[in-house]
Formats: sequence, C-alpha cells, structure tokens
Amino acid sequence: MIGKLIGIELMKIKRKGIWFLTVLGPIGVVALQIVNYSVRKDYLLQQSEDDWLFYLLNTSSITPFAIILGIVILTSFMASIENETNAWKQLVAMPVSKYSIYLSKYTVLLFLLLLSASLLTVFTFIYGLFLDLGEVVPYRELFMYSFYPLFAAFPVLGLQLWVSFVSTNQGIPVSIGVIGVILSYSAYVIPDWLIWKWPSLMNQWDEPLINVWLGLAVGFILYFIGMLDFHRRDVK
Amino acid sequence: MEYIVETRKLTKRFGKEFAVSDLAMKIPKGEIYGFLGPNGAGKTTTIRMLLGLMQPTAGSVRIFGSDLKKDRINILKKVGSLVENPSYYPHLTAAENLEVLRKIYGTEKNRVNEVLEIVRLSDVANKKVKGFSLGMKQRLGIAAALLNRPELLILDEPTNGLDPSGIIEIRNLIKRLPSIYGMTIVISSHLLSEIDQIATTVGIVSKGKMIFQDSIDVMRTFSKQSVVVKVNESEKAWRSLMAKGIQGELHDGKILLVDKTDQEIAAIIRNLVQNGHDIYRVEEDKRSLEDIFLQMTAEEERV
Ligand SMILES: Nc1ncnc2c1ncn2[C@@H]1O[C@H](COP(=O)(O)OP(=O)(O)OP(=O)(O)O)[C@@H](O)[C@H]1O
Ligand SMILES: [Mg+2]
Repeated sequence: MIGKLIGIELMKIKRKGIWFLTVLGPIGVVALQIVNYSVRKDYLLQQSEDDWLFYLLNTSSITPFAIILGIVILTSFMASIENETNAWKQLVAMPVSKYSIYLSKYTVLLFLLLLSASLLTVFTFIYGLFLDLGEVVPYRELFMYSFYPLFAAFPVLGLQLWVSFVSTNQGIPVSIGVIGVILSYSAYVIPDWLIWKWPSLMNQWDEPLINVWLGLAVGFILYFIGMLDFHRRDVK
Repeated sequence: MEYIVETRKLTKRFGKEFAVSDLAMKIPKGEIYGFLGPNGAGKTTTIRMLLGLMQPTAGSVRIFGSDLKKDRINILKKVGSLVENPSYYPHLTAAENLEVLRKIYGTEKNRVNEVLEIVRLSDVANKKVKGFSLGMKQRLGIAAALLNRPELLILDEPTNGLDPSGIIEIRNLIKRLPSIYGMTIVISSHLLSEIDQIATTVGIVSKGKMIFQDSIDVMRTFSKQSVVVKVNESEKAWRSLMAKGIQGELHDGKILLVDKTDQEIAAIIRNLVQNGHDIYRVEEDKRSLEDIFLQMTAEEERV
C-alpha cells in the first residue's frame, strides 16, 4: 500500500513546479560559486593550499540556507496540494491508514531532498573539474558537504511537515519557516541547541558528525510526533 | 432488522458546544436516507464521524455490522463519499484526479472512464479541473464517490450551490444509482424539497439531536388535513363547539379543525348554522411536508 501511495503522491506533484524547484536549488548554490570564481578566481586560489577543499567550503557556506529554504518551500507546496480544496477529507476517507498517508508524503519529500543533494554533489563536482583545482578530488568531502547538512536538517523537515499538515491557517508554518530561514542564515551567532543551526555543521566540538547524528535522531522523533498528532486530529 | 449504518449515542463536542448529541441513526439496507436539518444542525459533523474523519466524543458507529473504530479500513473499502464542497486537485485533469483515487481502491483501470460516463464528464476527461464549473466539480465529486462501486454512498448536500437545472441533474443522477448497484444512500440537505422525491427514509436532526426518524410515508401521515372555518362571533362559536366536546383551535378569528372526517365536518357546520352563526368561509388547509419539517425543527428551536 505504501508503495502505491508514494506513486500517487508523485502523480499529484506534477505541474506544481516541485520538480523544477528540486533542480533549481542545487543549480542556484553552484551558480553562486560560478559568479564568485568568475569574478575573483585568482584571489580565491591564493587563499588556500588545497584549492578543492577551499572551493567546497565556499560552496557549502550557502548550502544549509538553501536546504532550509528548500524544505520550507517544498513542505508548504506539498501541504497546499491537499489544503487548496481541503482534499484531506477525501484522502482520509479512503481505505488507507492516516499513518501511511503521512509516511508517503514524508517519503516523497525525502526523495526530492536527496535528489537535490545528489544533484548538488554532481554540479559541484563538474564545476570543480572545470575550475581545474587539482588532480586529487576530495570525494569524501564532496559527499559530506552535500549530504551532511541535509541529514542535520531532518528536524526542520519533521517540524515543517508536521506544522503545515495540521494547521488550518497556513500562516503558521510559513512564519515558522521564514524564522527558520533567517536563523539558518545567522548560524554563526545562534546557540548550538537550535535545530536551524545544525545544517551548518558547526558546533563547539568542531565535529560535524555530531550534527548529523543529532539531526537524524531528533528528525526521527519529530517525524514520529508529527505522524501521531496527524493521526489523532480530526480532519478539517 | 439489518442496518447498514447504526450509531449509538453518537456525540461530538466542540469546546462547550455539542454539535451532535446522543444521536441514534439507523439506516436499513437499500434505503435512500434523507438526512435533514437546518444549517448548523450537525449533519456534516455526523457524516464526518461516519467516515472516521472525526473522532466521536462519545458513542459508537457501526457500518455493515462492524465497529468503525476497529474496522475502519475494511468498511471504507465499500463506502463512497462526498463531504461538503467537492475536493479535487485543480492542477490535474478530471481523469487524473480519479486515477489518483482509483489506485488506492485498486479497482480496474477502466473504472475511471465508466464513472466519468455515469456523471457525463467524459468529454472533459482530459481538461484540468481548475476551469470546471461548480456543477461539474460536484459531478466529479460524485464520480469519485462511485469509483469503488460502494455499497454505501454518503453525499453531504450534493446540490449545494447549484442552479435549478444543476439540482435536477444531480437529483436524476442520484435516483438512477440504487437501481444500478443496489446500494444504500445517505443524502443530507437542509431542504426537504430537495430529497422528498428520492428519499425513502428520513432522519431529521436539529441542534445535534435526532427529532424524527422513519419512512417518508410515516412522515406524510403527519401532513394531516385541517379545515379552517371563518364565522362571525368566532370566540362564541368556538366555545359552543368545545362545550359539545368537539376539539378545535381558535386562531385569529378562525376555527381550525384538525383531522376530521367529512361527516364530522358536516355535523360541525350544521351545528354552527343552527346556533345562528354566519359561516363566511370553509377552507381546507393541507400542510406540506416542508411545513411539517419546518414545524418540527422550529419546535425544537423553541425548547
Ligand atoms: N471544527 C469545528 N470546530 C468547532 N465547531 C464546529 C466545527 N465543525 C462544526 N462545528 C459546529 O458544529 C455545529 C454543527 O455543524 P455542522 O457543520 O455539522 O452542521 P450542518 O448540519 O452540516 O450545517 P449546514 O447545513 O450549514 O452544512 C455548528 O454549530 C458548527 O458551528
Ligand atoms: Mg453541512
């Protein structure tokens, strides 16, 4: 059943611009580096011994922000599909459990975000090759800087999905989303415990993996709470 | 008796307000059940609980003899529904909208074309629903409700917001349905006139309580004839009738005689004439079903 529901969710996101945004995100992130390196490549190459790593660090400075923004936009689009004509009541009156409805939507979002991260890896790699940054490509870091911020952002995904699916007033998830985007942009100055900081992979121990594991754990918890709450609530 | 839908003490409270209280709904198999009540009576709330969209505050729902709470998914496999305004995905075509739902039911692929045919939307099957008129959207909603060949079809105000020709069209469509599938149908409405030609059983709800539930024929027997007599000195005339043990009501200078045979009326008139009253008018006053409905719900309002 869950496979069928995922297929259905994929049908529903047609013509909504969701696929476009999924591709646009990573293009945007790399495009900024294209501008950056076109304007001042010589200067940037002087900054570090390891040009690849420096390039990846530059790219990754914008990634957390792009991921949070992407999550906010995608969850809100996803919710709008059902909210627009209150199709929730039609969907929930079908012979399927509310848990699987929630899970199928979460899975589709997860798939889109993973696709985005994969595209980011590929685009970053291709532009890096084009810049001719050296023989040895740091594949591990390439992967790390594309996927770690996403894993660390799972709590934000869980929260946005939950709030946008259960709110009658879509102003609430949008406001939380906007605040989250601003916070993620100010990652340097906000405390470690705020989930919007985690995708930046910064913490007082200087260990990015802490953010990843925390992100996965808290993300899972928030997903679970959201699903239980969605199940419990009356359909509008 | 075998009931397709049976609720016991069904109750839903929002904050302090009871939208539905102690509702006992009983719908026999094969009936077209007209679920009537004024705005805000609790019809939609009841229907939402029948579909598991809302959890009752108290009470239980049994459909096809099973407890909805325990067996929701198996029950819903055999239920089709349209609640309030039709829901649809505007960016998808009519056929795509139905295909999305068909996949969940797992009915055969051609079923989408069949239901589009039934509601006569085949011509616009590949048009986006965004541009549909309200009547077309409503028909699409009914098509969706028919996808799984339901044994129980629940339609909440299916003619709401439609123009007269749209109403007739939907009504004719609904009339055809039981003969096609032998299903049980629940239709809610705030107007008796909308369903009195199709319903076989009626349930009337007011302020969340069921105030009448029986076959429409029983309800018709409430539409008793009464005879209105206009006489001079009406008060005196009325007293003289009362003195003879004849029941009547005095209403602004007219005497209202309810449910009397022809002979009784003749005797009453003769009596009045013999007592020297001038008879100005003798009129028959037949209350329509709508009047009864209005009176029933109005009485409830006053309490
Ligand atoms: N989600 C809700 N929260 C709070 N109150 C509600 C909610 N849904 C319904 N009500 C209240 O419950 C009562 C019954 O509403 P309901 O929609 O069931 O009536 P209805 O019979 O369907 O009326 P209508 O003919 O207008 O559709 C109303 O007083 C309404 O204000
Ligand atoms: Mg209603």
